[in-house]
Amino acid sequence: MATAYLLLAPATVLLLGMLAYPLGWEVWISFTDFSPLNDHGPRFVGLENYRHLLADAEFWRAVVVTVGFAAATTLAKLALGVAFALLLARPFRGRTLVFLAIFLPWAYPASVSVIGWYWTLSPPIPTAYSPFMGTLKYTVDGALGGGAWAFLSVTLFNIWRGSSFIGVFLLAGINAVPPELFECALLESRSAWRRFWLVTVPLLRPFLALAVFLSLTTAFADLANVWLLTAGRVVFPVVGTQAYWLAIKGGQFGPASALSLMLVPFLLAVLALLFRAFDPPAEARA
Amino acid sequence: MVIERPWKRWVYFYIPLTLFVIGTLFPFYWMLITAIRPDAELYRSWRAVNNAPFWTLHPTLEHFRDLFEKTTFPHWLWNTFFIAVISTGISLFCGLLAGYALARLKFPMAGALGTSIFVTYLVPPTLLFIPLADIIRNFQLGNTPWALILTYPTFLIPFCTWLLMGYFKTIPKELEECARIDGATRFGAMVRIIFPIAVPGILSAGIFAFTLSWNEFIYALVFLSSPERKTVPVGVVSEMIRGDIYFWGQLMAGALLGSIPVALVYSFFVEYYVTGLTGSVKG
Repeated sequence: MATAYLLLAPATVLLLGMLAYPLGWEVWISFTDFSPLNDHGPRFVGLENYRHLLADAEFWRAVVVTVGFAAATTLAKLALGVAFALLLARPFRGRTLVFLAIFLPWAYPASVSVIGWYWTLSPPIPTAYSPFMGTLKYTVDGALGGGAWAFLSVTLFNIWRGSSFIGVFLLAGINAVPPELFECALLESRSAWRRFWLVTVPLLRPFLALAVFLSLTTAFADLANVWLLTAGRVVFPVVGTQAYWLAIKGGQFGPASALSLMLVPFLLAVLALLFRAFDPPAEARA
Repeated sequence: MVIERPWKRWVYFYIPLTLFVIGTLFPFYWMLITAIRPDAELYRSWRAVNNAPFWTLHPTLEHFRDLFEKTTFPHWLWNTFFIAVISTGISLFCGLLAGYALARLKFPMAGALGTSIFVTYLVPPTLLFIPLADIIRNFQLGNTPWALILTYPTFLIPFCTWLLMGYFKTIPKELEECARIDGATRFGAMVRIIFPIAVPGILSAGIFAFTLSWNEFIYALVFLSSPERKTVPVGVVSEMIRGDIYFWGQLMAGALLGSIPVALVYSFFVEYYVTGLTGSVKG
């Protein structure tokens, strides 16, 4: 028993120090007016920061964008990821190349591949198709309102990148299923659609749950990609970029902490939903 | 693939697949073309005669040379490598021990601890970068590699632990019991018997951790400030875009070179990676 605690100690110490403590600190700071620019230390202001946020129209806009973004990308990533996994699960000519095409977007540093995307989607210097992309951008923005194009391009990028990881993850899951089960299913039903829903999906349940999970949390928190594609401009406010502006550029740690903690209820809701809908991943594997 | 007429196979399978592969790989191709295109061609009007947007007849390595001579790119490469290797090492070490304990040893709260380590993986950096920025400042670690080496494990350890825990569970207990009967200590059996068998899982976790820390952006953006201290993902973006001026050629050259290590790691180990993941989820 002592051995167990000894073995767990390094991980626990690091996680407590660099994760639990900062979170606790953040909760405390969100009730204060702390800022490194002030002379005085943090001063308790109660729920002031939160009250301020809830009355702020910009905040609600960011929430709507964040939730819409998370939902849209997760659905698309899941659908594509399942398709990739099923595709790669069988041998065919050219599988290696397809594997590469699916896996590269995830393995490639996002901040770098995002530049390739930026260049592809909004060519800033005279290239052959920049007039075309310009027209497309104005049409989309005109039809759906300002910022729609930015939303679309960030969403596309996120899907491009995220579906590849989910695909490989689910492939690992399919490999773990004994092939006899799929063979049995083939004898039972001729409809590929029925086999998919009645056999493949239930068998992959724990993986699907985890994939949804990871996808939602990364989308809620997708600060980096949004930041990179829009240079943090106001056209595409998500909760993450707003918090970044407030804290790092504005030095307003108190309100920024409150802002990013507003993500917690969403994350907890997702967590609860998934633990209810699927078996928790830790148990399901046994 | 059910056996069908060949033309059907082409129409329904290979042609869509080819389009898809071209589509996903296009941004990479585009980066490559931009990186080797001479400036004169890059900044030419799209109405110019002989304009060939999708290829170039005068490939040049000029941008790559500029990258090494005029920027601190070599520093970024080394920083990124150093940080990624050390933080991966720390996370693997912690993950191995914790994963083994959670998979093999019986002690009160084992289940709860396992779940809570897993749940920490779901805490997004967006929540953490504000308080971590303050901690880093208090310890005066800002603008040093240690700021990142200490913070990266927060998202690496949970995944490594979870993956390795699953992998250890697939290894039959009898192997270890035999070693114990032959006189090995619990620790000896763990290091000499279990760890060697778990190599695919360890590699898989290591590759995953290495990629994540190589690609990490937010913490590196927040905690590092001077140009020669930056990592590749942050350096390329922040130093080659000055205001509204984009140094496209160098930007793309940096983007290509900066990801070669990760691409290499994957091309050698991708099958291991999938096997490792499979093993760990099978358990």
